Amino acid sequence: MIIHLRIPEGVYLQALADLQRPHPFAFERVGFFSSVLASMGGDQQLVLLNGYHAVPDDHYDDDPEYGAVIGSEAIRTTMQRVLDESRGQFHVHLHHHAGLPRPSRTDRSSLPRIIKSLRTVGPKEASGYMILSDDRAWAEVSLPGSSGPLLAARIAVAGFPLRFLK
Amino acid sequence: MKPSDQGPFSRQSFLGPHSQEYIEQCVVGIAGLGGGGSHIVQQLAHLGFLKFVLFDPDGIEESNLNRLVGATARDVVDKTLKIDIARRMILSIRPQAEVLAFSEPWQARPEFLRRCDLVFGCVDGLDQRRQLEATTRRYLIPLIDIGMDVYEGTPPSVSGQVILSMPGHPCMSCMSFLNDDDLTREAEAYGAAGSRPQVVWPNGFLASAAVGIAVDLVTDWSQSLRGPVYLSYRGNLGMLTQDPFLQHAPKHCSHFDVANVGPPRFRPM
Repeated sequence: MIIHLRIPEGVYLQALADLQRPHPFAFERVGFFSSVLASMGGDQQLVLLNGYHAVPDDHYDDDPEYGAVIGSEAIRTTMQRVLDESRGQFHVHLHHHAGLPRPSRTDRSSLPRIIKSLRTVGPKEASGYMILSDDRAWAEVSLPGSSGPLLAARIAVAGFPLRFLK
Repeated sequence: MKPSDQGPFSRQSFLGPHSQEYIEQCVVGIAGLGGGGSHIVQQLAHLGFLKFVLFDPDGIEESNLNRLVGATARDVVDKTLKIDIARRMILSIRPQAEVLAFSEPWQARPEFLRRCDLVFGCVDGLDQRRQLEATTRRYLIPLIDIGMDVYEGTPPSVSGQVILSMPGHPCMSCMSFLNDDDLTREAEAYGAAGSRPQVVWPNGFLASAAVGIAVDLVTDWSQSLRGPVYLSYRGNLGMLTQDPFLQHAPKHCSHFDVANVGPPRFRPM
């Protein structure tokens, strides 16, 4: 299975701008993209990330051991969005460097649990998590019916110019 | 000599240090491989584009030979499909290219259109343009539309357009290029239009402009393409100018909401 992600420029820039804002106590911010799944024929699937949702400041937990910890209200709000909009959700955060980002050990241990919660309420949607850097991106995607997460092969931003983040 | 001055693409190294990488990974769709599409295919192959998705249901006819780049007299005898002429053209320039070609209208295989990072619309008629734009918007694909017409008169008037329609930005309806009056007129004349005049040089002119926009979009070499494009072609004067309707287009498209993307589906009320 080959997975492509496509983001409109406005949504991508909105996410970057939000994730770069300082938080009152957390070291970094997180957000969520809404997603829509479509077939590209053969073994290729397209995930369209068509909306960005910032996590409000008061939905973060103050835990100095981690860059950012979001609380149950943030997760509940995101799960509700899956139910209300019949859309998948992608957790997204920013690594402040150029080049291809990779998930940290903390990302690897904590983010799959969030995705599992989202899959519970939206088993027919594509959900996952994405890490942005200054100029590239990395994402893991859970598709309906798939046994485990799959790495996104391509991530593109439709805008001026076209950007190939991966 | 600098390293960038060597190699097969040395003469286009001004496009930027990573330009060839971007060009090679960009999946380009072309709907319609007649007079306009055949020019575009040829230029893209020369530039080094390597991933193509092609759609055209037609085979070549004798009357196409006045403008279909790459076609031969033998193709007319053999009734060669236009996609096969385009594929032959691409592979003769870039043997390593990946070409997915469908001898069907793009509407018959819409899922393969979704693979494209960029689509060129070289289709006939306003309704076909409307359909292609609606679909490319749903899948967040930039669309570059080209077309030409010849209007009766003394002398005849040659005109055309090149439009870049970008998801999230003004569409062809926002730019007033597609409007209800013209679509209705076209629908009323359906079946009575006959064969429309087409010649090679305006197609080449418009195709070259479209390819230039595509290269800028992919490489950002000019660092100045930051919004939609609507160029009007005045063939009798040999001029391509920005259409005034672009200035009057609303900033935000009310016809295609980025929130409504993907396959249409029912939502629970």
